[in-house]
Amino acid sequence: MRPELKEYALDLLFARSFEIARKTARSSEKERTYLMKTVPYISGILEPILEQGKPAITFIELLCDYYTNIVNAKANGKKVVMTTFCFDPTIFYAFSNLVPLTLEVGSVICSFLWKRGSFDFMDFCTEVGFSETGCSAQRGTLGAYLSGTGAEIDMVAINMGGVCDTNGNAYSFAAQYLGKPFYGLDYPSELTSNEVADYHHRDFRNLIRFIEDNGGGDFDIDRLRELLNEKIIQDELTNELEELQRLVPNPVPGLFHMMIYACRYTWTGDKKFTRLLREMVEVASKNAAKGISGLGKEEKCRALLIYIDNFAFNAGMFQWFHNNQVSHMGNLLTRFFPHNAPYRRDVPGTCYRIDTTDLDTMIDSLADINARMPMTRTIRGPYDAPNMWFEDSLSLAQIYRADCCIYNGTPGCRNTWSNVKLIMRDLERHGFPTHLVYADAFDGRVESWETTATRLDEFFNIRGLL
Amino acid sequence: MSELFKKAANSINVPEIVELKNKGVKIVGHTCSFVPVEIFYAADIVPVRLRGIETESMSIGDAYYGPFVCSFPKAVLQQAGKGGFSFLNGVVITSGCDGMRRLDECWRKMSTDFEGTMPGLFTFLDVPHKPHDVALEWYESRLRKLIKTIENHFNVSITDEKLKNAISFQNKIRVKIRELTDLRAENPVFITGTEAFEALIARTVLPADIFLEELSRLIEEVKNRKEPVSDGRKRLFVTGSICDDIGLVEQIEEKGAIVVGESVCYGMRNTTEMVSETEDPVSALASHYLSGSICPRMFGYYEARRDAIISMVKETGANGVIMQNIRFCDLHGSENGLLERDFEKEGIPSVRIEKEYGPLTDKGRLRMRVDAFLEQIGRKRRSFSA
Repeated sequence: MRPELKEYALDLLFARSFEIARKTARSSEKERTYLMKTVPYISGILEPILEQGKPAITFIELLCDYYTNIVNAKANGKKVVMTTFCFDPTIFYAFSNLVPLTLEVGSVICSFLWKRGSFDFMDFCTEVGFSETGCSAQRGTLGAYLSGTGAEIDMVAINMGGVCDTNGNAYSFAAQYLGKPFYGLDYPSELTSNEVADYHHRDFRNLIRFIEDNGGGDFDIDRLRELLNEKIIQDELTNELEELQRLVPNPVPGLFHMMIYACRYTWTGDKKFTRLLREMVEVASKNAAKGISGLGKEEKCRALLIYIDNFAFNAGMFQWFHNNQVSHMGNLLTRFFPHNAPYRRDVPGTCYRIDTTDLDTMIDSLADINARMPMTRTIRGPYDAPNMWFEDSLSLAQIYRADCCIYNGTPGCRNTWSNVKLIMRDLERHGFPTHLVYADAFDGRVESWETTATRLDEFFNIRGLL
Repeated sequence: MSELFKKAANSINVPEIVELKNKGVKIVGHTCSFVPVEIFYAADIVPVRLRGIETESMSIGDAYYGPFVCSFPKAVLQQAGKGGFSFLNGVVITSGCDGMRRLDECWRKMSTDFEGTMPGLFTFLDVPHKPHDVALEWYESRLRKLIKTIENHFNVSITDEKLKNAISFQNKIRVKIRELTDLRAENPVFITGTEAFEALIARTVLPADIFLEELSRLIEEVKNRKEPVSDGRKRLFVTGSICDDIGLVEQIEEKGAIVVGESVCYGMRNTTEMVSETEDPVSALASHYLSGSICPRMFGYYEARRDAIISMVKETGANGVIMQNIRFCDLHGSENGLLERDFEKEGIPSVRIEKEYGPLTDKGRLRMRVDAFLEQIGRKRRSFSA
């Protein structure tokens, strides 16, 4: 890794960048215009985010708080738990002394913010022996923590066993390389039976024991109840946004999706995240009342991302959508499957319900939520979801009246790349033009954003979508 | 030398299996070393490990799988699509790794395009990613579910007594494999790695009784050999991704080394520990198969695997280790990185090789890597005795 990169602690760099960005909330339009000229390297991402208005500032504040907490963890007597984006962090916040750190969120920030992306960190992983074919979502920042450029990690806890090998592998490698305790929740290839639910619940209790043994902090039951109650409100607000997206034109701005899942992975149960969602509902509702799209201009087409977004420099994909008047109808990462979600299909056992009656019901609820996080639920199978996430994709495409579907992921994703051709074929058979992106959502070296954009142009033109 | 093992290790259509099939014996294929073969023998069914050898193209594999996927499940799918497994009455897929897990969907979908490629029984065995506590209980419950599925589908009864008999018979095989392993650890050694690896692969595709008889004969023959095969040759140990590629071992030996052991699926991994014959048979199978296998799919258990591999390397007196992995096998690809670091700490020379599964398209490159490695360890040759 280039020595100069080691001069900057990654979390500190993130925290300070967001600290400066949040101050723009107090700036006048003239000041902001001037600011954009003086920060050419980040204006490309700052501008479209700030254009989202109030929610953008809250979003930036949340990310700033997240990384500031990580930076200050040791000074505040707290321990840092490295975890994956699919792990609902509520349980960590229910402990008095834990701070979660999610690699994938950092990888997105690097890709969005820096022209060089997170290439150096990815390459460092390879230098120390990690497979170069592993998923870039983790490698994007894993290298920083392995090289000591990021915060010191105290333990690793994930929920990827049985869901995603390459993700689980990255975290277990990190635990081994850094010599830290590791716990992995395990998920069978089925989701809906009572037997499986019981397995999830018992496994989750063992996880809590692991955290107690290795964290040394107090588990606060009242705090857990408070967090879960807040999550109920957050789910309702997210559902409202989902409902609004069914309108034509879609009044929800595309970047809201990214903001929702980034915060859901980092700040679930927190009141400030509730505020963010309220602000988003307000913006989208106003758009809906006026009958305008979240694009701020005419909606020409509606695209459902059936896997993840592309996090190219300066939010290239979101900008492409905006410029081409294509509404982003969300992706696999934005759907969490609470029992009252508008997109749920009434298949017993596929959604979660939060029950705060007592400690046991709360722990069971957490286990159920974790088992239904994006990816954890959706790309599991094969039993009780024999076509992997095809039915989910098809029903979402139908519910949200998508004109087309786009698969975008990372070459590190064995699961989806093992099945995407089947899903693509079936979506086409059901009348949804489907485009397969061969780029890496986090690594522009695999395919440059410009090439990806050209292929999107081709797809939308050839299929007569624009 | 065993012609039977050679044939079995190098072809999908093993004559002994075809003969049994013609006599009405049921044959079930499976994809993973986490599948207890005793369950099938207890039902008078012959289990066969699915392999992807003899594939000449990936036209079918690539039509269903995407490009960034390990070539092993693709090769198995290719064989299935070409009718290579038409002798099977059933298939059990497992969650061994993501690529293998998704073989379930790909095979089902492929069978709608290629008529007659779906066996009568097509089922799934879920294998947890950790070996203890609730995971072990879960795995045991899955084994009981698999037993029920087999009983119902084939209209057979798998009793505890039959399971115990099957365990007892497999334990006899385990004793013999231990003997084979010990022979390979001798210095000088009288059996080549190619012969031994053929035997280990043959174990996964031959009926157990035929295998045991032939293995016993081979061991006796080796014991009576007068000329060692290892004289002056460097002793190598092979580890890493799934490997049933006799060609790889042959190549290493053609370059003047002798392969004295391998910790790979189809190799020595988890082949010599006994299954308890006194416990409840399903519980005994569960704890043996789940706890005993040293596959990096079991997240968080690297140290146990490393210690087991280092102990095998030392027991076999290897001078160095070849760590191979199939491209896109992230599990072994990364684990090999950690092993490389830890081998170095132990003073064990090692080399990492990434390759494709199946026809040895990489032959020239691999030969060069092996050659260079042998040259390297030739300069600081040392061996490890237990």
